[in-house]
Amino acid sequence: MKPHAAASTSSNRNTTVKFRIPTSDNLVPIRLDIEIDGQRFRDAFTWNPSDPDSEVVIFAKRTVKDLKLPPAFITQIAQSIQSQLTEFRSLEGQDMYTGEKIVPIKLDLRVNHTLIKDQFLWDLNNFESSPEVFARTFCTDLGVEDPEVGPAIAFAIREQLYEIAIQSVASARETRINKKGRRGAAEQFPARKRREWDVYEPIVDLLSSEEVDALEAREERNART
Amino acid sequence: MKSCSPEKSYVRVAPRGGEVNMEAADCSSFTIVHLCLLPVLQMTGRLLWTDGCWNGFLASINFPSRLTRLLPPPPVPGCLTSYTSPLIPGGFRGTTFTNVRFGSSRSSSMQSRLRRTLGITNITGILSSGSSEKNPTTKITFTEARKTIIGDVGSVRRVFDFLETWGLINYSPGPASKLPLKWEEKETKSNTALSQSTEPTGNSVEPTVPKKRLCSGCKTVCSIACFACDKYDLTLCARCYVRGNYRVGVNSTEFRRVEINEEIKADWTEKEILHLLEAIMHYGDDWKRVAEVVGGRSEMECVTRFIKLPFGEQFVGASDSTDVDKKFYQMEDQNNTEFGLQSFGKSFANKRMRLSPLADASNPIAAQAAFLSALVGVEVAEAAASAAVKALAEFSYGAIKESPGSLSSHTRQQEHDATANGDTSLKTLEGSLLDVKSQLDKEEQDLERAIFSIAEVQMKEIQDKISHFEEFESQVEREWQQLQQMKNTLFVDQLTLLFNKTPAPKAGESVQQLVKIE
Repeated sequence: MKPHAAASTSSNRNTTVKFRIPTSDNLVPIRLDIEIDGQRFRDAFTWNPSDPDSEVVIFAKRTVKDLKLPPAFITQIAQSIQSQLTEFRSLEGQDMYTGEKIVPIKLDLRVNHTLIKDQFLWDLNNFESSPEVFARTFCTDLGVEDPEVGPAIAFAIREQLYEIAIQSVASARETRINKKGRRGAAEQFPARKRREWDVYEPIVDLLSSEEVDALEAREERNART
Repeated sequence: MKSCSPEKSYVRVAPRGGEVNMEAADCSSFTIVHLCLLPVLQMTGRLLWTDGCWNGFLASINFPSRLTRLLPPPPVPGCLTSYTSPLIPGGFRGTTFTNVRFGSSRSSSMQSRLRRTLGITNITGILSSGSSEKNPTTKITFTEARKTIIGDVGSVRRVFDFLETWGLINYSPGPASKLPLKWEEKETKSNTALSQSTEPTGNSVEPTVPKKRLCSGCKTVCSIACFACDKYDLTLCARCYVRGNYRVGVNSTEFRRVEINEEIKADWTEKEILHLLEAIMHYGDDWKRVAEVVGGRSEMECVTRFIKLPFGEQFVGASDSTDVDKKFYQMEDQNNTEFGLQSFGKSFANKRMRLSPLADASNPIAAQAAFLSALVGVEVAEAAASAAVKALAEFSYGAIKESPGSLSSHTRQQEHDATANGDTSLKTLEGSLLDVKSQLDKEEQDLERAIFSIAEVQMKEIQDKISHFEEFESQVEREWQQLQQMKNTLFVDQLTLLFNKTPAPKAGESVQQLVKIE
């Protein structure tokens, strides 16, 4: 999946590109949420779709071994990963529109004791962009100590980009998205309005254990309902 | 720690407890590097490889080939950072990973891109997360690593496996190999020489081996111990295992140790044990005769079985010590070892010894030493150890240092003095330890004194310089003042000239006044 350099730099709105995540590494965000016999395993990570399929099984076995989960998880995990990968691959052959599209990306996640809230704009046409680099810089700049936050941020960004990419594929046949994007880009002033400053500022909160428990309980309740 | 050499670039990581400084062979093609890699890492610390190896290295970690074209070969003047392998059982600290540079001519964005595609940051991440573990002896699992590393899990896994295979993370020494062995090239050569000499005798000693295990690496019969890998159905003798003569994908932890002696020997029936005991009662330490009495068992088997008997130790202690000594030497001759083994046995007996007859075979010399020491019993081993200590102390005071180099060099020198070490000395091991400590203290003091004197000398120098500069300054000051005066007189002269041109008596007076003032 090589990006079309011409497409990314030219102002031709109607160029199409083969589907891919619009970042420099074509990595797929994979989310796992498996429950077997009351034991729940949730995870989220990025996967390189060009890895051989044997890699999936290896990874599943490794994870189960490291986390000491019952072996029934191996097949489940492998299946889940495989299905998400095939879904990605099925989209790969199709076209997607790129147009000038700057989209807002929102981060609202909680990793262990750290709460991250942020919003920023991302250029979908920048095929050299990298959520990983962003996540790394974010963590260094804001002094985030928990090493698990970085991957979570990168994953969240990727997931959103993936969603948007899927949408752009789905609506590739329609031209509505294109026009909207164009209008949006033209209207934006380079300077942000003051009232929007707070929204676009990153917030990193460290929670205490009780708050974490409370939030977790609330999330579970929301998930069940 | 970075160092550059014009032709080679190398890789070193410091283990916990200091650096291991050893030599390795230079490898000019990847296959050689690879075959040598594990044993080189295991026995030595430094890998030297030239540019051509780089692609092979990448291939071994399944680096996507489409990305290799993005990487430059490591340029000659620039080098990779240094990593030494932690092989020596001391564990791994993993904190000296520094930035990888691919030459100074690359722009920083290219650098970061290269680093990213290479996954070096993954390596950093894994290594640093490994080092930040509060309990350094726990291993870091792949899942922990990939949770903390930003990147796709496939490449993280490959890097993780690579690091684990080569012992750069999660390195755990074998359970029995607590001997702080210092390997140098000569020793390794003599190792191989010795181990090869003992191997054929191992065969002759146990002719009745029912199950012969052929090593799939070197195609020789495994004698003392072998390592079996069930996953790939491999059997390797101890030497091949150490040298890493196995396939690329096989992890060294997948081998399990199979003791040949225990495996091959059928269980001793009670009759046989009875015969054995009777024979020992009659013949004492004449194992030849004992073996004859116990039909069908070789001497070695008799001895090992005897040791394993619960009361074996007492019997050994009861016999005459001189006899035991003789037997000790005879045993060695029978084993057909070179004379060097004796000294090695003693010098390594110096360090913590194990009585288990078949110690960790990853170190054949140590295994031999341990075996022999177990054969002959505690007192003889002690005697041998103290003789070795005495010999070490005889050389020079600098002998018993903590630095690996000198210790190993003295073990080498011991080879020549081996035959002289027959007599026992009264010094116990503890005494030698105290000596060592006192000598260490002495040396520390010497070092401090030396540093003090150097500091004094330098201070004197600086003071001299200061006084010299002060003189200079005052001189310059004087000159400046002279110049000022000259300037003033010049000014006065100019004025007088001016006033004299215009004949005015008042002006002349004023000039004179001016001159007086000046």
